[in-house]
Amino acid sequence: MRLAVPHRQRLPLAIASLGLLFLAVFLLYPLLNVFGASMLDSEGQSFTFANYTKMLGRPFYRAAIFNTVGIGAAATVITTVLAVPLAFALARLPIPGKAAILALAAMPLVLPSFVSAYAIVLLLGNSGIVTKALQEVGLDIGSIYGAGGIVLVYTLTLYPYVLLPTVAAFKAVDVSMEEAAQGLGSSPARTVRTVILPIVLPAILAGALLVFIETLENFGVPFVLAEDLPIFAVEAFKLFIGETAPNPASAGVLATLLILTTVLVLLVQRRFLSSRRFATNARQVPPILKIGPAFRILATVYCWSIVLLALVPFFAIVVLSFLEFRGPVLHGNFSLANFATLFDRDLRPMMNTLVFASAAALCTTLIGVPVGYVVTRYRSGVATVLDVVATLPFAVAGTVLAIGFVVSFNSGPVILTGGPLILVLAYTVRKVPFAVRSASAIVHQIDVSLEEASISLGRSPLQSFLRVVVPLMLGGILSGVVLTWVTVASELSATVVLYSGQWRTMTVVMFQALEGGGAGIATAAASTLIVLTLIPVVLLYRLLRRYELG
Amino acid sequence: MTGIVIAGVSRSFGTVRAVDNVDLTVEEGEFFTLLGPSGCGKTTLLRMIAGFCELDGGEIRFGENRIDRLSAHRRDIGMVFQNYAVFPNLTVAGNVAYGLKARRIPADEEARQVDEALALVQLTGYGERKPHELSGGQLQRVAIARALVIRPQVLLFDEPLSNLDARLRVSMRAEIRALQKSLGITAIYVTHDQEEAMSVSDRIALMNAGRLEQVGLPVDIYRHPVSRFAAEFMGTTNLVKATALGLAVPHWVSLRPEALHFAEEAPAGWQRLPATVARIEMLGPLTRLELTLDNGTLIRMATLDAPHHVPAVGAVVSLAFDTTRLTVVP
Repeated sequence: MRLAVPHRQRLPLAIASLGLLFLAVFLLYPLLNVFGASMLDSEGQSFTFANYTKMLGRPFYRAAIFNTVGIGAAATVITTVLAVPLAFALARLPIPGKAAILALAAMPLVLPSFVSAYAIVLLLGNSGIVTKALQEVGLDIGSIYGAGGIVLVYTLTLYPYVLLPTVAAFKAVDVSMEEAAQGLGSSPARTVRTVILPIVLPAILAGALLVFIETLENFGVPFVLAEDLPIFAVEAFKLFIGETAPNPASAGVLATLLILTTVLVLLVQRRFLSSRRFATNARQVPPILKIGPAFRILATVYCWSIVLLALVPFFAIVVLSFLEFRGPVLHGNFSLANFATLFDRDLRPMMNTLVFASAAALCTTLIGVPVGYVVTRYRSGVATVLDVVATLPFAVAGTVLAIGFVVSFNSGPVILTGGPLILVLAYTVRKVPFAVRSASAIVHQIDVSLEEASISLGRSPLQSFLRVVVPLMLGGILSGVVLTWVTVASELSATVVLYSGQWRTMTVVMFQALEGGGAGIATAAASTLIVLTLIPVVLLYRLLRRYELG
Repeated sequence: MTGIVIAGVSRSFGTVRAVDNVDLTVEEGEFFTLLGPSGCGKTTLLRMIAGFCELDGGEIRFGENRIDRLSAHRRDIGMVFQNYAVFPNLTVAGNVAYGLKARRIPADEEARQVDEALALVQLTGYGERKPHELSGGQLQRVAIARALVIRPQVLLFDEPLSNLDARLRVSMRAEIRALQKSLGITAIYVTHDQEEAMSVSDRIALMNAGRLEQVGLPVDIYRHPVSRFAAEFMGTTNLVKATALGLAVPHWVSLRPEALHFAEEAPAGWQRLPATVARIEMLGPLTRLELTLDNGTLIRMATLDAPHHVPAVGAVVSLAFDTTRLTVVP
């Protein structure tokens, strides 16, 4: 029997169907269960909105919503206000060491933000080193806990999300637009305001949106710094794992509300951006502006201080991990004791992190690359649905997805809880949107006729994909693998819900040390994580450079 | 070597009939061109033959074999693309060998055929170069060598010269035609450039809005267009009522600019027309004139450069033409 599907469509259809099946089982089904849990009455018999009215009736949870959104908005605004001038300086002003600044500025994207939060506590917390030192000279900096500290850490760790796309956008502005504006008598400052900023606005907004969503979903930073301040993701976690009886219904309510907020933000952004798309075709990179020495020094100091300030917490924690702790109290002596304690106790967490990150990076790539290819090349039916579904994990916090996993795979036909596979699957689902996006961006750059040429020369579509498309995507795929690897290695929000017994990871070790007050072990675990994250990134950077030069 | 039969082929995109019930037969070894403006369906038709676009109806045969249900990679075609589509990660030789490897040709035989193909397109010695070291014209030669080397049943060209500069286009089109004739492979060539089509083709199918407007020898379509569209697409022409030219027939006619002459150089039996020179455009070898007839009709005329015969703007002249060069168009 012949298939009714035309031969050209068979391969993409097969890929799309498999991708959709995977996401249906490991994304849609868990989310549906979370939603279901929030809608069921206490006997689990009938549908009800009672859980919602009950949760929203409590001032504590209303405050959680308010705090989360408020902190997110504040962090987004501050990040944007700091990053846009920085981006302009890096794109258009004569700043010494630009390449180094850009490389350093990308680092917070791969370093775990909760490590930064923890470093801030060690430095500026109630018994922090800086706090103590300042108290001795009679200065009181006040508490770092609460909204202020969280916003600070978000700003320091998330500003690259605005910076990097905005730098690219500033560089893509067609010079002739500026020249036209100035030819019409506009001053340079007015030109920036009336011509250049509107052109780069979509890029700024896209970056700002990423920051906002990251803050909504972040679990580690508020967990370290919030103290008594209720925050969405943390409260959902506590309700679900809680010391008291676990409460899937209430956790489900918070999780659903969190997803709805994120989806709402995404829709608003899409609506806003669709009416404001300015394409300019720059023939060349716009020239570096000439500025006076005073302005130049000011701009240089500004750029370097933001970039370095963001890395200070990470640097501090590496230094601290080599000092001696007695309980939570720091002594100034060099010591390897923290690492000795960390690794003496158990090497398993380290092995787990390495194995899980590698497995998840492999799975994510194997799913993300073909799916990214199909959604870019074939805009019909299943592929369109797949595109939407594959973007969805982006709007789902790690905590929420993990709760969905536990609810879904704790009983019934597929039992995954208690094993390592559930972690790898959760990581894969969380990272797939990034893999799909980056694969799709690369495929966009590869001319369709290259594949058609290969097919017309006698290679099947599958062979053509493997022999022509994949080699051309290799650099991008490799970057994707490394990025997935490092972000999975420092993943916390889903891990703390899903890990069990012997399947602890390094992030869990650090998390437990935070709760238990083992500051020494926590710093050692944190600096191990930093090293684990930076080594692959540096290796990749060097490899890609050689690849480009060769 | 194979003839191609296209029978009742159609394809719609949404409500647009991109290719509308097209019937064509291309002879063995023929150089056949699909010509038409953008959006006329010529590229869609070519992509159907290549297997990159499904048919809604009809069938395509290479010789006796129906191929429209066959996967693109089993059709045994050589295709040359507008943007070259040379694999950037392979060397020139690697590109040319690509189709041979898919056919599992022994290594020594493969090397021999690659060298031979590179020699055919005058790229001997370029085998180890990377595509980014080559010019546009050289890249297109690589693409042609890559398509030829597999000795396909059919060669397909999708506007292969559009990305090259004007001078190179003229020399490359002569080369492509010479190569095709020496190898004898049936070729279908898509272009929107009527001059290019006239230069390379044995026959042309002029397409308009998904349909075949006219199929025939280049010279026949030029001299005897069957419609206003064909008359205008094949070159500048005067589309006027015959009565405006002083003829007593109730038809629209097409009269090419070069069919008009100044009366003093024309044989006595030709139709005469008094006219006033409105505009003169000197193009080098050719001079184009726009003239107004007494009844107000605008007439275009073209003459070879003749320094002593160029009238001034405003001059009243007498034109003459051979009525046998008029084509009646519906």
